[in-house]
Amino acid sequence: MPEAFVPLTDFVNEAKSIPREHALDQPVAKWTEDELLGDELVEAGVAILRTRGCYWSIKEGCSMCGYFNDTVPGGVSDEMLRKQWEKIRPSLKGKRYAKIYTSGSFIDPTEVPLDFADAVMSDMKEMGIEKVLIESLPEFVNPKNFSYTNAPKLEIAIGLESSSSLVLDKCVNKRLRWPHFVKVCNSARNNGAELKAYILLKPPYLNEKDAIEDAVQSAIDAAPYVDKISINPVNVQKNTVVEKLWMRNEWTAPWLWSVVEVLDRCKDLPVRVYSDPTGGGTRRGAHNCHSCNKKVLEGLKNHRLGRGDLSSLMCECKSRWDVIKSQSSFRRNGSEPHGYRSGFSNGRRF
Amino acid sequence: MEPVGHEGLGRLLDLGENLRTPHIVFRKEDLTEATDLESGGSIVVGKPFDLPPKPLGLDSEKEPYLHLSENIAVLDNASSLKPQKIVEIASKIRKEAGYARLVYAPAVEPSEMPILAYLGVDIFDDLSVELRSSTGWLLEDGHWVKNQSNDDLTSINGEELKRWLSKIRSSISNGRLREFVERTSLHNPRVSQILHYSTKVLVEKGAKIHTPIRANALSLQNPSVIDFQERLSRFTPPVENMVLLVLPCSARKPYFKSSSHKRFFNAIREVDNYLSLHIVSVTSPLGLVPRELEFCYPAAHYDIAVTGVWSPTEVEMIRRQLSRIEPETHYSQAIVHAGSSSEIMTSLLKERGLDTIDTKAERPSSFEGLEVLQNVARMSLNGTKPVNSKQRAKGEAIGLANFQYSNSDFLTTSEISGRMPYKLRCGDLAAISPVVGGFGLTLNGGKAYASNGGATIKAENFKLVGDLFAVGVKGYEGDWQIGDQVVIEQNSEITAVGIAKMNPEEMVSMKRGIAVEVRHHA
Repeated sequence: MPEAFVPLTDFVNEAKSIPREHALDQPVAKWTEDELLGDELVEAGVAILRTRGCYWSIKEGCSMCGYFNDTVPGGVSDEMLRKQWEKIRPSLKGKRYAKIYTSGSFIDPTEVPLDFADAVMSDMKEMGIEKVLIESLPEFVNPKNFSYTNAPKLEIAIGLESSSSLVLDKCVNKRLRWPHFVKVCNSARNNGAELKAYILLKPPYLNEKDAIEDAVQSAIDAAPYVDKISINPVNVQKNTVVEKLWMRNEWTAPWLWSVVEVLDRCKDLPVRVYSDPTGGGTRRGAHNCHSCNKKVLEGLKNHRLGRGDLSSLMCECKSRWDVIKSQSSFRRNGSEPHGYRSGFSNGRRF
Repeated sequence: MEPVGHEGLGRLLDLGENLRTPHIVFRKEDLTEATDLESGGSIVVGKPFDLPPKPLGLDSEKEPYLHLSENIAVLDNASSLKPQKIVEIASKIRKEAGYARLVYAPAVEPSEMPILAYLGVDIFDDLSVELRSSTGWLLEDGHWVKNQSNDDLTSINGEELKRWLSKIRSSISNGRLREFVERTSLHNPRVSQILHYSTKVLVEKGAKIHTPIRANALSLQNPSVIDFQERLSRFTPPVENMVLLVLPCSARKPYFKSSSHKRFFNAIREVDNYLSLHIVSVTSPLGLVPRELEFCYPAAHYDIAVTGVWSPTEVEMIRRQLSRIEPETHYSQAIVHAGSSSEIMTSLLKERGLDTIDTKAERPSSFEGLEVLQNVARMSLNGTKPVNSKQRAKGEAIGLANFQYSNSDFLTTSEISGRMPYKLRCGDLAAISPVVGGFGLTLNGGKAYASNGGATIKAENFKLVGDLFAVGVKGYEGDWQIGDQVVIEQNSEITAVGIAKMNPEEMVSMKRGIAVEVRHHA
């Protein structure tokens, strides 16, 4: 395992201080959304289980990840997990595609007990679900962690974040190395799972231009080993390093134009590359100016569902994005002045 | 690299080839992008220099604050760091970067450039201006104005930015940078805040340049004013149990040269034992100025609008100054003859429990006013213990020396002769000098000062003629601020005394420029 980059490690640890209280028999959230199953548009059922959470976030954690806010530090008992599952089941009825998230790794046996996972999988299989998406750190992508007795087709999503070790060490604080990622992808594929990679767009400290280059390069690197790539523009989650930097105005969330550019430059890759920006259009998520946020998000959704391309998107703020891109590496951080995306026009005054 | 001027923590450096700092670099001409994520690229200031790596993964609120390459020190996030943090960093810039590196603050707004230059930043860039230009804003005197026409804003704003920087440079060379900063701080809360928090570091480390202060409400925070006020607590009146005479200030400085103060003096000198009267002038923004300190900067170097109205802040300031002088323990009585300030002074002195007489003269220097003053003075001095001029001169010298030096025994134990204002001297050690603003040390005084732990500069062994240049400095002992008196030692012998023109470490690291303006040679 690569050595820790001490300054960032301290910074990440300091960010987590808030005590949390959650109802243990309730899942964090559940909803449905449109998704592609093969080439077919289906309605997918999504649920987030409340668990102990990611082991890495307990130890140190990644600079942009605030999912530990939804976890229970002492762990959640088997019984409570089953109660949560009972509340999720009805929303999965009749669905063909399910996404079961935890705020950590579904196939970490210390976080989600194997028995429980096995029962959930066979339950879903019986409900007629064809494919289920789960997420995991690469550490746990080992066939012994997902050899279920009876399960739908498994799709494992791995947070690669970046293929650059510099970005992983100094910006993300994730102990991941490229050869390890390749190894686990191959082994999962050999054991019948499909793979999806998450790639960060604009991790903290990176500027707009370097961020685009890093995301594109990471997508090109990852493409041969996975089946789908999701570009995740970094959004500002509570109690994270990213939030601190954002509050200090040393980093701002990426532009939606940057998402569009990354997708455009990846359109010839042999795998599907798409993006569903979390918190898109808000100050905490990827955004452009006030007048085109909705339009561009709609365009990204259509692109994700294979219903259109992105080339027709246009707005006057795109020229501003060009300017910030050309100077961003001289600013030495990922910031830009407040109000720049809307041209420093004053908001309405009452 | 030659320092040609200082103000606050900022400096005007001559880099040769018509280049002077504070300097502006333009992205398109002067900055080169890095080849990888981490490294910093390069910057052209006359010639190209490498920039330090980008601060990936670092917490900007932790030391070290500056990132260093061989010739450049970068102050990242200067436009977003908290005001207190900026000031804390400013106080550590030289410790981290030394004097030989240029300090560069990327992506700073024009309105914040003067204050950052005042705190020691040498290089700025046009990144913020570029963003404004691209969104249709015109730079005008540090402010942004929305521009509706189709002008080439990039080049217009670039030219304006160059002018803005040359204003900063000429302000430093005229000693008016503080005024410039105060102007930009109006209606700019961030700059005001930085300016407010920087007072302490400017008093402790800032260059003391004797520019006349054109005072206003902001001048109550001027570091030289604060310094003067704080030193007043070291001051004692010449003799105990004198009668305090509070007079108004005058437009002419030093006050004793003004026609009104001459008339006051002529009136009181006819009173028996008039040497028992101690004159203290009341003024804003300094508060109280005893007669002995009228030469000291900035008592003779300011001008303020006279309105006759005292704001609550000014009243509070005078109350604080009175608590530094403690009139109730040093004086037997007070006479207030200060025109429009009389009422306030009388109540403040009574508040401290001193027996106070208000002459109630509306026009203190009029014939009637002077007559009242003479009568009141005669009444108050009736029966007081006589003070002779020798006794009084000694007391005056001690008061002034204590004000100037924290440890002044080396001066005050000598034989004091002459009398205020011009002829007062401490043996052969020091004599009043209006240029120095108080006691100017003679060569012997310098020797006494050095052996008393005073600031000493060790110079190379050569025949010192004229001023001492930085290239001849090899070390130093003690600490000083620019403008303080220092002693030059060559080959273990004191060979000159003069006024410091550079900071301690700066003298050693600079190869060019005047280090000490010499007043007396061996």
